[in-house]
Amino acid sequence: MDRAPRRLANPWLLLVFEALFVTASETLLKLGASETERVAGWEWTGLLSLTSIWIWCAIGLVILSFLCWIYVLKYIPLSIAFPLSNVVHVLVPLSCWIFLSENISPRRWCGIAIVILGLAVVAKPVAKIEEKL
Amino acid sequence: MTREQTIVAILVFVIEVITTVLGQLLLKRAMEGSKAFGFTHPRILKLFVAGVVSLTASFFLTIGLLQHFDLSFFYPIQGSTVVIITLAAAIFLREKLSIQLIIGSALISAGIVLVSLS
Repeated sequence: MDRAPRRLANPWLLLVFEALFVTASETLLKLGASETERVAGWEWTGLLSLTSIWIWCAIGLVILSFLCWIYVLKYIPLSIAFPLSNVVHVLVPLSCWIFLSENISPRRWCGIAIVILGLAVVAKPVAKIEEKL
Repeated sequence: MTREQTIVAILVFVIEVITTVLGQLLLKRAMEGSKAFGFTHPRILKLFVAGVVSLTASFFLTIGLLQHFDLSFFYPIQGSTVVIITLAAAIFLREKLSIQLIIGSALISAGIVLVSLS
């Protein structure tokens, strides 16, 4: 966490972007996959999904998220960045619920709550360190 | 599923976790080193490529496992990688580990298992 740049190049902000890009790409992949799934004979290769514009957007977002991730790794310890990147397990179900009208069972809501609790526990000491700097 | 198939599945599953963890460790090493030596340094590039290859392998092994198992059966394993990567970073990269970090990682893993089971 030494000499980390501020503002837009702030690795913590890039970690947030990484998670948002992953969430958006997963949601778009689902959109694109369900848009193109009804082509007989080829459905298992997944290749025909390339006819969907959503899939191409998703591929772009995956690349962006990877670029953000390697930038994050430059400054944030892996043992902190990796647990925090798992915020996608909260964001993806929420995104499916909001944008794809998928159902979330009570057990899944409990899981989401526990992930958020874990994220808070990991993030709290980090926030203290950042305050001191 | 026969006994051999079960053994192969467990093996693939173990290799998938190892390649995920190894890939992240290599990427971290490469990016950390790039601060001092620059990204184009041959050693850094080697580490980076090795990391990407390892993660690519884990990607295809994941798909292979998904072809044989339900996502809900297999996904909790993704959850377990949180704890494993946190511990691996402490052991191999000498990152400082706090009790909060271990508890937080364990909670995230447990949460992911619950999310994927339902």
